[in-house]
Parts: sequence; C-alpha cells; structure tokens
Amino acid sequence: MPKSQFIDPLKSRERTTITFGEIPVNAYDKPFDEAKKDFSKKDLVRIYRDMQLIREFETMLNLIKTTGEYQGISYNHPGPAHLSIGQEAAAVGMSHALDVEDHIFGSHRSHGEILAKGLSAIHQLTDKALMQIMEKHFDGAALRIVEKENNGEAEDLAIDFLVYGTLAEIFARETGFNKGLGGSMHAFFTPFGVYPNNAIVGGSGDIAVGAALYKKVNSKKGIVVANIGDASMGCGPVWEGISFATMDQFRTLWEGDQQGGLPMIFNFMNNQYGMGGQTRGETMGYDMLARVGAGVNPEMMHSERIDGYDPLAVIDAFKRKKKILEEKRGPVLLDTLTYRFSGHSPSDASSYRTREEIEAWQSVDSIVTFRKKLIEHKITGEAELDRIDEKITGFTKKALGLAIDEKVSPRMDLVSNPEQIGEMIFSNGSVDSMEDRDPEVLMPMEENPRVKALKKKERYAFDKDGKPFSKVKTYQLRDGLFEAIIDRFYKDPTLVAYGEENRDWGGAFAVYRGLTESLPYHRLFNSPISEGAIVGTAIGYGMSGGRVIAEIMYCDFLGRSGDEVFNQLPKWQSMSGNIIKMPVVIRVSVGSKYGAQHSQDWTALTAHIPGLKVVFPATPYDAKGLMNAALQGTDPVIFFESQRIYDIGEMFHKEGVPESYYEIPLGEPDVKRQGKDVTILSIGATLYRAIEAADKLESDHGLSAEVIDARSLVPFNYEPVIASLKKTGRIVITGDASTRGAFMKEMAQTISELAFDELDAPPVVVGSRNWIVPAHELEDYFFPQAEWIIDAIHQKILPLKGYQPVTDWSSERAILRNSLGV
Amino acid sequence: MAEAVLMPRQGQSVETCIITQWLKQKGDQVEEGDLLFSYETDKAAFDEPAGANGKLLEILFEEGDEVPVLSTVAIIGKEGEDISGLLEEGGDKGATASSTADTPEKPGEAHVATHRNEQTSKAREKSVTKGSDRLRISPRARNMATDLGVDIGLLHGSGPNGRIISDDVIAASERSEITKRAQPDASKAQAPTPEGEYTDKTLSNIRKIIAKNMQRSLQHSAQLTHHASTDARKILNLRKLIKAQKEERLPSTTTLNDMICYAIVDALKAHPEMNAHFLDDTTRSFHGVHMGIAVDTERGLMVPVLKNADRFTLGGLGQSLRELAESCRNGTIDPDLLAPTAGSFTVSNLGAYGIEMFTPVLNLPQCGIMGINTITQRPADLGDGTIGFVPYLGLSLTYDHRAVDGAPASAFLKSVCDRISNFDPKL
Repeated sequence: MPKSQFIDPLKSRERTTITFGEIPVNAYDKPFDEAKKDFSKKDLVRIYRDMQLIREFETMLNLIKTTGEYQGISYNHPGPAHLSIGQEAAAVGMSHALDVEDHIFGSHRSHGEILAKGLSAIHQLTDKALMQIMEKHFDGAALRIVEKENNGEAEDLAIDFLVYGTLAEIFARETGFNKGLGGSMHAFFTPFGVYPNNAIVGGSGDIAVGAALYKKVNSKKGIVVANIGDASMGCGPVWEGISFATMDQFRTLWEGDQQGGLPMIFNFMNNQYGMGGQTRGETMGYDMLARVGAGVNPEMMHSERIDGYDPLAVIDAFKRKKKILEEKRGPVLLDTLTYRFSGHSPSDASSYRTREEIEAWQSVDSIVTFRKKLIEHKITGEAELDRIDEKITGFTKKALGLAIDEKVSPRMDLVSNPEQIGEMIFSNGSVDSMEDRDPEVLMPMEENPRVKALKKKERYAFDKDGKPFSKVKTYQLRDGLFEAIIDRFYKDPTLVAYGEENRDWGGAFAVYRGLTESLPYHRLFNSPISEGAIVGTAIGYGMSGGRVIAEIMYCDFLGRSGDEVFNQLPKWQSMSGNIIKMPVVIRVSVGSKYGAQHSQDWTALTAHIPGLKVVFPATPYDAKGLMNAALQGTDPVIFFESQRIYDIGEMFHKEGVPESYYEIPLGEPDVKRQGKDVTILSIGATLYRAIEAADKLESDHGLSAEVIDARSLVPFNYEPVIASLKKTGRIVITGDASTRGAFMKEMAQTISELAFDELDAPPVVVGSRNWIVPAHELEDYFFPQAEWIIDAIHQKILPLKGYQPVTDWSSERAILRNSLGV
Repeated sequence: MAEAVLMPRQGQSVETCIITQWLKQKGDQVEEGDLLFSYETDKAAFDEPAGANGKLLEILFEEGDEVPVLSTVAIIGKEGEDISGLLEEGGDKGATASSTADTPEKPGEAHVATHRNEQTSKAREKSVTKGSDRLRISPRARNMATDLGVDIGLLHGSGPNGRIISDDVIAASERSEITKRAQPDASKAQAPTPEGEYTDKTLSNIRKIIAKNMQRSLQHSAQLTHHASTDARKILNLRKLIKAQKEERLPSTTTLNDMICYAIVDALKAHPEMNAHFLDDTTRSFHGVHMGIAVDTERGLMVPVLKNADRFTLGGLGQSLRELAESCRNGTIDPDLLAPTAGSFTVSNLGAYGIEMFTPVLNLPQCGIMGINTITQRPADLGDGTIGFVPYLGLSLTYDHRAVDGAPASAFLKSVCDRISNFDPKL
C-alpha cells in the first residue's frame, strides 16, 4: 500500500477494454542453409553430440530398468528413472544459449537438462577452471575415480566426471554429485549452473523465482530458468511463482539499478503429458500453454510457443529472451513443445496413447533429423558422427562400469557411521554475513526512528518497587525481534525480508515498524498473498547464497505453503549432500481472538518434519537472542511468535534485555522459575499461564512449581528437564496447540522414556481442546488456563487437599473424548 | 435358609482352584467347622470348613474340577428347602462377578451432559475405589521405597487411582523412624472409645508387618511340624551348677535357653540343609549360622538375628542373645537385623509359658524354625529297668517341605535332641 501511488476512482471506473497482443507459435522458420551461418561447424557438431549423449545415457537407463543390462553389463536399479528420450533438442537448445552463471532448476525428468547444461558449461569453462571445480567437489572424490584410464584432455575428463557424477547419484552412490542423497529426481551440480531438480511437480516453479530474486537483489550475473512440465501449469505454487515474479513493484517502486523485471524464464518443457494425462485436450483448458502468459501482465510475459524438436529454434528463442531479461523486462514464459518416446517411467505401458502417435513423433526425431541435416549440408560426414557416437558409448559404458562397482562407488556406510545422514540434516553454521560487501541502507542505524525510540524504553518490565511499567514505556517482545532483525540488515548485505504487509504497514503486528525508513524497497517489500511463493522464493533465495526472512502472517496460513515447508525447505541441505546451505528464517505468527482459522498453534506440523529447526520464544529477551541465533545460522528456522504477547515486557531477565548483540542457542530450554515439587514445561505464550498456575500452587497449596520454558522444539536438550524431574518427579507439559498429536505429546513420550525412574506420575499434557478455536469470548474454554494445569495436577499427579477442580481429567473422560475423536 | 458354599479366593492372583477331595457327601449332616472338601491352588492345598450347620443339600462340582474362585460349590440347608435360586446363581456366578469387577466402565456409558463439578467428583470416586484392588506405585516411589527400606506392601496410596506416590513413601519412612525411636507405649489410638461395644485400633506398622509375614508364610510354603522331646537332665544340672556358682567358666546369667540354642546351632552345622533359604528355584545353604530369635516386645513379635552364632562359646552366645533382645525392647535394634533374609534359622521359645507343643510359623525364606517347649516330667527307663520320672524338654521343628523332606528334618531334630541330652558345650 504505497502512498506514492494514487488509485484514482475516475480512471479506475473509465469504460475501456483489455487488448492482447499476438503470441508467436513456432515462429522460427530459418532454413538450415541460413541458420548454419549463425554457428561454427564445431558448434553444430557439438549440438549433435550433446543430444546424442543424452539419448545414449537415457537409453542405457531404460535398458537397465527394463532388461537389467547395457552393453553386456548387468545391473539392477530399483530406484526411479523418469526419462526424457525424445526431448533432447529442447534441453540442448536451451543450454547452448545459456552461460555458466545462468542457473537452471528442473523437475523429476531432468537428466537431459543436467547433461546438456553440464556439457554447455564444460565447453565454456577453461581447463583450469574445470580442474578446480572437479578437485573441489568433495575433495575430488569423483575426479579420482574417473581420471583413471583417461586420455588426459580436460574436456573429456570433465565429460567423464559429468556422466559419472550424474549416474552415481542416480544409483545412490556416495561418490555421486550429492553423495547419493538426491538420486535421479533431485540430482544437480551447481558449479555448472545446474540447480536442484525437484520431484514434486512444479516444485521449481516458485523456488527458481527466489533464485532470480537473489540474482537481481544482489546484482549477480546471469538469468534463472525454471524447467517445469506442462502439467505443472495446474499447480498452485507455479501460479504463485508467476504472480510473485510479475509483481508491478519491480518496475514501479524499486529504485535505481534495482528497477526492472526479474531475470527469470518459466520454461515449460511441454511434452504434452502429465504422467498419462493429456494436458491439451484433457486435463487443462489453455489450448496452447503459451496462452497463459497473456493473462498475467501487459507484457504477456513475452510468451511464446517454440518448436522444441528443432534445437536451432530453441537456441534462437533463448537468445532472444535472454536479451529481454538483460533489458530488465522479464520475466518470460516459454512453451517449449516436445514429446517423450519413453514412458512417464519404465513401468509406464503407454496405455494412454497410440503406437501411431509415438511413431509419428519418432519419425521427426530431432536427433535423426539433425544428423541428416549435418550430412546433407556437408557440415560433417557419417564417419565423424559415427566416431562421436562411439565415443559417447565409451563415456556411458565407462561411467556405468564405475558407478556400479561397489568398491569404486560405495554407498554411504551407515554401519560404521550410523549417524552419517543425521549429521547432514543441518549445516549448523555460524555466519555473520553471507557476503562481504556493504549493506544497502538508507540511513545509519542509530538514526533509525524506532532504534532511537527504543533507547527510551524500559528493558525490564518492573520498576524498583516491582510495579509494571506502562505498555508505552515498556520494551516489548516485538522490539526484541526488531532489534535482532535490523541489526542483521546492517550486517548482512544479502538479507531481505518480505511477506504480506511487511513494508509500509510495518508488518501486521508492528515487528517491522521502522524498518521501511532504513531499507530500500528491494530489501524489504510486500509480496502477493501467496504463502507458497513466499516460502518457495525464500528457499530459492537461500540456496543461491542469500539470507532471508519470510513471513507467514498467521500460522493458520502455513497450510498454504505446505509443500514448500514440508518438502522443500527442510530437505535441500541434506539432499544436496550438504552442498547447499539454507539460511532461511520463516517467521510464523500464532494468532488469537480471530477464531478457527486465525488462532492455531501448528508447531507440531513443522517439528515433525526432519530438517527444520523450530523455536517459539515467549519473552523479549529470548525473542531477541533466538532471532539473533537464527539469523546467524545457516539452517532453516521456523520462528513462531504469539500475537498474544507481542506487547509483553521482560519479566524474567532482571538485568533487562541487553542493548548489545547476544545469541541464545537454539535448543536450550530455560528455567523461568525454580521449584521443587512439580515441573511445568511450557511451549510459547502458555508460559504466562504456567506462571499463573505456579503462583496459585504456591499460595493455595504450598507447592513450589518449577517452570521451564521450552523456547525451542527442534533441536531440544532434554537434560535440564530431566534434571528438574530428578527434583520434582512430576511434570505437566503445556502449550496452546490442540492436544492430539501436539509436540507436547512428543515431549511427554520422550520424557517417559528418558526419565521413567524419576517419575512419580505419568507426564501430563495440558494442551488446547481438539476443537475449532472458538470466538475470543469462548477462548478460555479452548486454550489451557492456569486452573487446568492445577486440575491436571490434582487429578493425575498429586491430589490437593480440599481442592475442587473445574475440568475433568479422569481416564474415563479421556477415553470418551478419544473415542469421539475430540 | 440355605447357604451357598463358595470356593474361597486364596490370594489375589488365584483365579481357579481344583477340588481334590470331598470330605462330606451330599446328604451328610454337617456342623459349622466340619471340613467339607480339600482343594488346591497352583501353590498350596487347603481344606474348607463348613460355615453353617445343616444338611449338605447339593454338591455342584466333582473331585478334580477346576472351579473359579468365589463360585458356589455346594449348598448347605434344611432338608426339603428350595435351593433353586442358589442353584441358578451357582456354577459361573463367581466368574461373572470377578470379570465385571475387572472390566472398566464402557466409555459410552459415561455421562455426557451433566454438571461439570458433579460429574468430576463422581469420576474421582469411581477411580479411587477402582484402584484399591491392585498395587499401583510410581517408579519414583518404588525406587525411593527401596532406598529408604520401606515395605510398599504396607503403604496406602494417596495418589490418583490409589497410586502410591513418593509422598506416601516419605511419610511411611518418617513414621517408621518415629516408631523405631519411640518408647513402646508410644502407639496411639489405644484408648477404648467411651461408648460402643468394641474398640477399633489401627494396626501399628510392626503389627502390619507381622500379619503380612505370617500370612505370606502360611500361604506360600509347604510347612509342617515334627515334635520330639529330649532328656533335659544334663542341661538342668549345668544350670544348677551355674546358679550355685560352681561352674566359673560360665557367666551366672547363662540360661537353659542359651544352652538349647547352643545345641541347635551346633546341630545346624552338621545339617546344612536346615540352615538354608528356599528361593523357588534354588536353595541357599549358609556357611555360618545366622540365628533369628523370636523376642516378645510390647509392640509385638520381633525376630532379631545373631549373625555367625556358630562362632560363639556358650557364654558368648547367651550374652549376645540377651543384648539383641534388649535392643529390640528399647528400639535400638539395627533394622537390617530384623529382615527375614538376615537369618538362616529361627528359634522361638515358649517354654516359659508352659506350652507343651506348638507349630511355629516359618520365617520365609528360611527353611526351618525350632519351637522350644516347656519341660515336663515323663516316665522313663532310668537305666536299670527302673521306671522313674525324668524331665523332658519338648521341641517342635517346623520345616519347609518344599526344601527338606521328612527324613532329614527328623534326623536334624534328633541331632538337636542328642546334643541336649548329652550336653557338652565348648566353654
């Protein structure tokens, strides 16, 4: 909601029409005689070689999958192999037009793109650079394997390296490009500009946009291409990625060098099928996919359908589109028409298409056709092309022999190191700044109005006499978050923050208030209401090397970014073999007062997924310290905040919240109050209810409760909790999440296991009801109250003399509720 | 009115018993106390006496039948009485009753929409009563009980569902500290109520322990008693010499009991199978004799153990036994010496009360206990064909037949008798 842009009712209400321009379809019609002049002989032969290498590589995989044998070498590969036989021209044409620093993101069907982009990069890089890259990758592990029996030419060695690294990865070997943790559908090699391929259809549709954002914001060379299938046009995240990538603000509000569109191509590798569903004619309605671009923005996304069976047409298109991106007029949508002869996977019987159809496309096979043209136009002869074919078979045969040799290419040894994958789940880095340059800011931090205002706030909630200061004088939890975040903006030039209402509004809950004054648009901006793309782009931004804070305004909206939070963000560090770092903080605000779809604590959903760190501070001191630690780290952190306590002052840290920088390590619970009779372990804002319960236990029942604030969920150090249990023998775990399947239950189970002998009663979970969250006026019947904690203690742990409980914690009631599913 | 005879429940873990023999037949006239039938559990055999006078009207199970406990097995009443009501309930009544008792209330039957508080208290009552029939204890309380030496079988759980929680163990431990230190008359609630026909007295801890140990012993072993008597002239003579201070090697306090104990200790050395513990699948013979001696105190029976009693001379043995008894009476005894497992054999002397014969109860897991009776004059051959009266000391040996058979037990008893009749102590 920038004030600089006036929405004029008169103009808005004018009668007019929207007109669309033309979208070219298969426009390239240069005869080969003409076209060949644009290329050297070597280039044309290289185009053939690259296509043929992909064809041979995938034929090999197809034979291995279907017959268990290739060139007399037997092997059984039980894993996936989604082949793109028939689509080679599209991959090679694209790669031919791309530079090394242009980055591609792919799909589950991207072997061809890995090889094509790899071959293109190998061609462009110097021998020295190639050697350096190969030496650096896992200390030359793959290089050592392929350099034996090599003729010594750097290019051939690099091709050996590329073919072997990809194949070993497909076969889950530790010597593969990603230590075998990515596999066929996720293999990639960033030094050649090949970024993660993605086994979720359309998964790259928003992640790649984040990579383009990274290039733009950090003024990096190159463009980003998302190679996604035609069927992914039906996926929400792809539309969200397109929405994010085509925001007006890039041109209207971003300033200086930053003004202009994203360097991004949505390249739909349109093989006309999504598994067996025919996109044109059956499952989609666009007639031609390129049409979609027309509706997105006035530039119609420079949309175009191109003939992906003619490598020269593809090269031509990519060259033209790259120019548009260089002129900052992106993004671009390409509908690259192609066809796969192979099935969706080797188990595909092609029951959804006819033999005639496949044969018709085979009769215009791009490789056969191109080879014919090379010979017809005397670019080269049969003999040379045969020699190339033979050499290619040499590459694939050698790679196969090496990749299946258990001694040469072992899998991860999880017997001698059972924790090896566990050690790769997080990178646990501590990095001040992801890049060494001056951050772009609009004023010195000391002059920031909010920074100045905070100087006057009371950093401890109570005065000398123990009376609380007024809200307006109190340094609040949101101020703790702000201080950590603005500090990092002045330290790390790559840091950007975005989400809904993040800029002028200052964030829906005033955490960012004051940031707008310090930061140019491209470091703090409003996103479309696209939670999928908010998280997805943050992933792409993070994996490209930048630090980012993305915001989900209400925890309840987390579902909208389901795939991004559950499948993408947590996985890429380990799936890459730890090549990728993911310094991404997702701020998630847990609501209240707004009912069923704006008040839920979904910490358990994120804590369940391996690869995410999850924290939930409840005090200003912890909020600042944990945010500092999250922003110093290199792992994805889901940072929960509670709207109930954004304005709370620091009640526990008597020295007040320090003005200087400090970190609170993720994973360490904190004893907020010492006690000896019973332990209350709380998650998030429920801390204050726990304290209230502790007060009542003390005054009414003479029991001293120890209150521990979990602060983090993942990781979590149970030792302080066990130490507390050694004293008390009793524990209640409380939090605002609905009880069933809550993280509190996970804690209760773990505590039972780790501290069984200390327990005087089972750990009791006091969470919210398994209902919809009712209206604010009824919330006290839904969220755990101090009385509930005391009731639970009375009925499940330690009967309190003369106490009359208000809630029923009997086993009968628990069985009944469970049997009813509430 | 006719009465049903139920198969008794012998311990909480017993679900069925087998009728081994009917001692009365259908139609027999029986009187209260007459043995009706014998039965056995997997652990022990019992006889069931009649609980009423009348005619044995019906027998519902035959010998060899496996009968669920609390089932009706027979009916006693008057001739011609209508017993159809009892017959209907018979057979599987007990089984039904016990299974309902164990089945938790079905969730669907719980009340849904009554007032919160009312329901809560109902639910509480129910769960508390439900908890009473088995031991519930928290892991912490269990560990604490082991550390503090508190017997959890005697605790009343104050936690939810009657669970014994750490507070209960702490309280019990504090109580037993007090009991230990307090003087004998410290037990409270002894004053009879001024009105009413009886006086209820809460059991003291020691009474509870005695009750439990005694019952357990009878339920969980195969004990039986052999009685014998032996010529006491030698020990009486020695006692006379000591009293007359004609035996200076022995303290004047040396008693007949000391001498008998000395003889028992000596005999045990020769019969290691009697100086042993029976531990279900093993027997453990001790190399030293750790003799428990029953001591009557004002708080009840205590059995302190004299460790390595076989290392003492007669005088030393006597002295040690007296000190041990004294420390029991004044409450300074080391609790470790009171544990049944501390001793390897026990002696209980009721001779002073004029008891001529009794069946001492085993102090499990010990295999034997010797009861010492009074001395009686019995006619005996004085050696030259003359029959005269000779003082005889009665001995009652109870032993665990699981561990020891009748012959070796008898041999041991004879050894003791011989050692007394030919008393020849190390001085």
